[in-house]
Amino acid sequence: MAGLSRRRFLQGVAGFGAGVLSGCGGLPLRSGGKAHVVVVGGGFGGATAAKYLRLLDANIQVTLIEPKAKYITCPGSNWLFAGLTSLDQLTVDYQALQYRYGVKLLVDRVSSLDPARRSLRTLGGQSLSYDRLILSPGIDFRWDAIAGYDQAATEQFPHAWQAGLQTLLLARQLQAMPDGGVVLIAVPADPYRCPPGPYERASMMAYWLKQRKPRSKILILDAKRSFSKQTLFEAGWTKHYGYGTANSLIEWHSLADNPLLELNKQSRVLTSEFGDQFSGDVLNIIPPQTAAQIALQHGLTDSTAWCPVRPLTGQSLFDDFIHVIGDAAHYAPIPKSAFAANSEAKACALAVTSLINQTPIPEAHWLNTCYSLIAPEHGISVAGVYKLDAANAIMPVKGAGGVSAGTDGEAVALEADYTRAVYRSLMVDTFG
Amino acid sequence: MKRICYVAVALVASTLNAIAHAEIDARAIAFNCRNCHTESSLDSKSSIPSLKDLSAQRIRQALLDFKYDKKPATLMPRLAKGYSDAELAAVAEYLSRN
Ligand SMILES: Cc1cc2nc3c(=O)[nH]c(=O)nc-3n(C[C@H](O)[C@H](O)[C@H](O)COP(=O)(O)OP(=O)(O)OC[C@H]3O[C@@H](n4cnc5c(N)ncnc54)[C@H](O)[C@@H]3O)c2cc1C
Repeated sequence: MAGLSRRRFLQGVAGFGAGVLSGCGGLPLRSGGKAHVVVVGGGFGGATAAKYLRLLDANIQVTLIEPKAKYITCPGSNWLFAGLTSLDQLTVDYQALQYRYGVKLLVDRVSSLDPARRSLRTLGGQSLSYDRLILSPGIDFRWDAIAGYDQAATEQFPHAWQAGLQTLLLARQLQAMPDGGVVLIAVPADPYRCPPGPYERASMMAYWLKQRKPRSKILILDAKRSFSKQTLFEAGWTKHYGYGTANSLIEWHSLADNPLLELNKQSRVLTSEFGDQFSGDVLNIIPPQTAAQIALQHGLTDSTAWCPVRPLTGQSLFDDFIHVIGDAAHYAPIPKSAFAANSEAKACALAVTSLINQTPIPEAHWLNTCYSLIAPEHGISVAGVYKLDAANAIMPVKGAGGVSAGTDGEAVALEADYTRAVYRSLMVDTFG
Repeated sequence: MKRICYVAVALVASTLNAIAHAEIDARAIAFNCRNCHTESSLDSKSSIPSLKDLSAQRIRQALLDFKYDKKPATLMPRLAKGYSDAELAAVAEYLSRN
């Protein structure tokens, strides 16, 4: 046993039973010999896919295309509102992927795909062909959902749902707000990027306001009837921020039957379907989302505006040679998180190497864990273990997963510690 | 070395028995452990235990203890319950070698 190489040992284990045979085996590789996989998008999904493809099979050439030379993570970006981090600390580059794993980086934006030729073009004028394409381009926003809230309006009313200048803008507005001011957070219906994100954001803002501007209020206007980890969030808010009392720093209101329809930029007023009006000193509007433009533009989305895929391989239902992972793809019931994008990327990398090498595709396993901070020493989590059911749909494994069990001071402090540790390890596993 | 070889063979054999014809590719599960258990020198002060230098036997026992609620922890009991004993054994074997 000890004499066997790692690869042969693994193949041995994998070979115990009949595997799933590749549907597209037998097609010649375009690049004659070495397969070329192009990965679009250097976020959590794309970076993980590029790295694991190279780890799994160093004979595969991997090109990662990403317009930004450095990536700023959304995970951890809510902590900035509590003064617990900076954009610098949330920034990572692609050096390790290039030099440690041999991923070829192209700092450019994919402008169009030519699926029939299995090639693509970039804004910078490059043309690349691929044997397989992995798209992890993230999200875009529905600018038609709240009339008046368009891209230009984000300069005044940040969504801060893609980390960077938007995050800083929102933090500055919070800091400039008078004591006794109102922060309004508008939250969309499911599905959207990071289900617990808005509530972690409210928590982190409340932590900061409690010390600096304790007479202020955060008003969450939610298009949903309930939300992720609600019981844990509300217990934490009660403990730290007077939730449920007249002086609560946080109020949560469901507008499930009365959605926000319009923003008047001049008067800073949001109006709902029944004519209710809401305003505040800071308006953080998180609009409903879609898969990123590049996916929409090439017919890789369905009527939901997300990309349907065959979960085992991540292959688009519309193109066998295009795999979609991360937030852009429909992997429900797996939520749209960085942790999930990383897990989807690994399953996809295993499937892609199997398809290229015409070996059986291993059974897919996905994992998600979403940690949130309610206060610096108060963390909570929700986890899910997923695999395919008999009909090849993703299902949560019964009896596994769920929310934090322990709610005493020691347990929540431990989970706060893990929140930070898991952020760092996820960064290493994805980009390092 | 000898002892480790023996454990590995025994594990693979018991795995075989337990799962009959099902396929276990330990990588598909074990890659997901690396989200948290990265073996990085960058993060030596992490509160997440390193799996480096742990034997397959120790990892397997810990996973089974998490699964059957014999070892308390904030997260691992929720995750370990998602896998069969044979899968946990295969993962332990994989992690001890990689
Ligand atoms: C406030 C907030 C907090 C969050 N906290 C957490 C958390 O604690 N834990 C967690 O797991 N998740 C968290 N998330 C969710 C997480 O950020 C996303 O789920 C994750 O980033 C998804 O990864 P992705 O690869 O699908 O997309 P992204 O990370 O968005 O990456 C997509 C990349 O594709 C690039 N791209 C787009 N179009 C093109 C093109 N045409 N050509 C080339 N490149 C292109 C973009 O530049 C981008 O870099 C949070 C999100 C928010 C907003």
